[in-house]
Amino acid sequence: MSDTTLPSLKPSPRRATSPLRSRALRARVSHALAVLFGVSLLTFLVAHATGDPVTLLLPANAPEATRIALAHHLGLDQPLPVQYGLFLLHALQGDFGRSFLYGQPVAPLVLQTLPATLELAAAAFCIALLVGLPLGVLSASRGGVASAALQLLSMLGLAMPAFWLGLMLVLVFAVQLHLLPVDSSGGVSHLVLPALTLSLLSLARISRLVRSGMQEILDRDFIRTARARGLPEWRVVWVHGLRNVLVPVVTMAGMELGDLLSSAVVVEVVFAWPGIGRLSVEALGARDFPLLQGTVFIAGLGFVLINLLADILCARIDPRIASGATSSGSIAP
Amino acid sequence: MPPALPVRSGPITRRSFNATLAAAALLPRPTAAASIAPVVITSDEDVTTLDPHLIRNNHPIGSLIWSLFDSLVRRRPDGTHEPRLATGWSQVSPTVWHFTLRPGVTFHDGERLDAAGVVFNFNRMNQAPWNGECQLWQQSGLVACAALDPLTVALTTAAPSSTLLYWLEEAFIGPTAYLRDTAPELVGSHPIGSGPYLFVSWQRGSQVTLRANPAYWGGAPPIRDVVFRAVPELSARLDELKGGSIDLLTGLDPDSAALAVSPVSGVRQVRGLRKMHVGIAQHGIAPLRDRLVRQALNHAVDVQLMVDTLQRGTTTRLLSVINPPNNDPALQPFAYDPQQARALLHQSGHAGFAVELAFDGRYADAQETCEAVGSFLEAVGLHPVLKAYESGHFAETLRARGFPGLYFYGFAAQIEPLVELVVFTGSAIDNASGYDNPAVDAVMRQAADVTDADARAALVRQAEGMIWNDAPWIYLWYLPALYGSSHRLEYTPRPDDYVEIYRARLAA
Repeated sequence: MSDTTLPSLKPSPRRATSPLRSRALRARVSHALAVLFGVSLLTFLVAHATGDPVTLLLPANAPEATRIALAHHLGLDQPLPVQYGLFLLHALQGDFGRSFLYGQPVAPLVLQTLPATLELAAAAFCIALLVGLPLGVLSASRGGVASAALQLLSMLGLAMPAFWLGLMLVLVFAVQLHLLPVDSSGGVSHLVLPALTLSLLSLARISRLVRSGMQEILDRDFIRTARARGLPEWRVVWVHGLRNVLVPVVTMAGMELGDLLSSAVVVEVVFAWPGIGRLSVEALGARDFPLLQGTVFIAGLGFVLINLLADILCARIDPRIASGATSSGSIAP
Repeated sequence: MPPALPVRSGPITRRSFNATLAAAALLPRPTAAASIAPVVITSDEDVTTLDPHLIRNNHPIGSLIWSLFDSLVRRRPDGTHEPRLATGWSQVSPTVWHFTLRPGVTFHDGERLDAAGVVFNFNRMNQAPWNGECQLWQQSGLVACAALDPLTVALTTAAPSSTLLYWLEEAFIGPTAYLRDTAPELVGSHPIGSGPYLFVSWQRGSQVTLRANPAYWGGAPPIRDVVFRAVPELSARLDELKGGSIDLLTGLDPDSAALAVSPVSGVRQVRGLRKMHVGIAQHGIAPLRDRLVRQALNHAVDVQLMVDTLQRGTTTRLLSVINPPNNDPALQPFAYDPQQARALLHQSGHAGFAVELAFDGRYADAQETCEAVGSFLEAVGLHPVLKAYESGHFAETLRARGFPGLYFYGFAAQIEPLVELVVFTGSAIDNASGYDNPAVDAVMRQAADVTDADARAALVRQAEGMIWNDAPWIYLWYLPALYGSSHRLEYTPRPDDYVEIYRARLAA
């Protein structure tokens, strides 16, 4: 019998490894800061590589003097390293400059649209998790209808482009059946179709991950032992089994949430959802450098924070991650 | 009459601004219309600013500014000039114009319109960043403006200007105190004008809400509540139109027009003004500098067939480089005649050359159009090479006159011969083809200097004919102006994309 099936006999490793954990945390934080710096530099360089925004901002017949005046007004007449240095200096103080298009400070602009994206991503994430997780578990433990449903859903979720799915959902549920509103401005009913569209890919990936993890775990010795101890089957599956597949799922969920933020771009355009994704697409099209840098940086910050959170959460679920232990085995419920 | 709003003195703060809005909200409203859902107008682009001097596009920003503000003169759909804030004007000398202002006009915040305010607005338009969008000074040759008395403004141009009224039509007037004392971003997000509609709210990235101005000098517009909403995807806009949640859909193309027809909606069409063409660059490969070659290209392409197929008959081929009704009816379109094209190419000594055909994604059918044009050119022995550009890159190349061969483009929607022809003068900044005929330039200069309307029209017609036969473009068609509309909305769309919702009404 594996010793891991009786974890209650082992002393809790948590207290003993707390210095290690904080060191690990410090490493993660400094890693995150490096990522953010990289994001800012890359966004700056790529944005400026696309060309001169003045051409797009001005009418075609604007005289040269007007162009020069506007370039000066926007600070585009300075050398690139100076522009980047100023951007970084101001960004550290929370000032991302002024949008070329809107003429407004970037930070409030982005923060105004962020809640809409977070609302959409959170709703999609909940759907993905609340449906994907049980579906994965059920299909691994029961097979049959749940398994078939999972196969179908995951195939649809993985294969269908979000923009097409979104338009089809609107056509069926809003235009034909009149069950849901067509437009996306208003209460919860307006959130259903965009959130559903956005969630499907994540739902498919999460349920497949849970399914394969559970299939592997349910064959393990400690599950057999749990059954031998006379525990009810639901407890064996949902407590002993599920907890042991949660670590990869939480890691994946963290990445999914980040993915949802970026996939939201497409869904926001299709559903005219006033979020950060649409703002960044617009900024890109118009070469609105400050707005583009602001949206990408704030989205990057969100992504990094979510991953940091996922790491911390994993350490709580599986203390061995925090302690640096590498032995394989299961986690106690 | 509703009570007048208090006139403020001193700087406008966010608080006093909100107080004004609150006061505006207390104005009596017509109650009969209370149960009618707002009229919703869509656009594919977002509204980025509502600063009256930063109109970046005709729709939605232009449509909103036209509803919230007034200019001295308004451009009618047929290009004629309608008195608005000015009741009349006269050209007292070749370079000096006097405009008489409408008395008793108040802005939405209670400020009174006067000549000094108009002068303040014009001067604001002449500074960065506003002078980038508002081209009154640069394009009309305006050099000075002055208030002669509270209701008379004098405008002086460097040379006699025949396009002053045209550019004044895009010069909108806001209240001086508000524009002067308020942070520009607040001016851009909380517009105060004197137009037929009052600004209610702007949910950024989503919608702008307007309400009829009961105190408008021309009377309150028939529709009380109006919403301008951005829906980037055409398919999503069509779904909404059929679902009954929008009333006017812009940006419809011939391929999708049939999809706008439903029990609650239909298609409205007017003759478009944007002149679609394949520009023939004269700063690139040598053969294109030969007039015979350019005429041959025009004979090689079966434009009518493309209008009937690609454009599904929703438009007509170009009649001239000047838009109707000012065009010369005697001009003949180049007949589709591959034999003639081959003969002209042979005669020029430039047969069988390779030529780039550039396009970007701005117009829905750019690639299909270029493929069709390319195959017609191939049929007369040329070797066209299609090249797709990113829109920003395309605009830059156009401005820099960097296209080596042919490029698919649409030239601005205008009804003002002298403004339309500027693009064909050698020194014009937006002369993308690089067409340069000194004889045309001379006639154009003469036309600009002449004050007699008939003499000017004769000169314009002369320049028009010279340009047409020089063939700086392969002439294609007018960009179809198609709109999806709910059956409850009674509105005749304009050909230039502006939506004048104050001219619309709801079906009984």
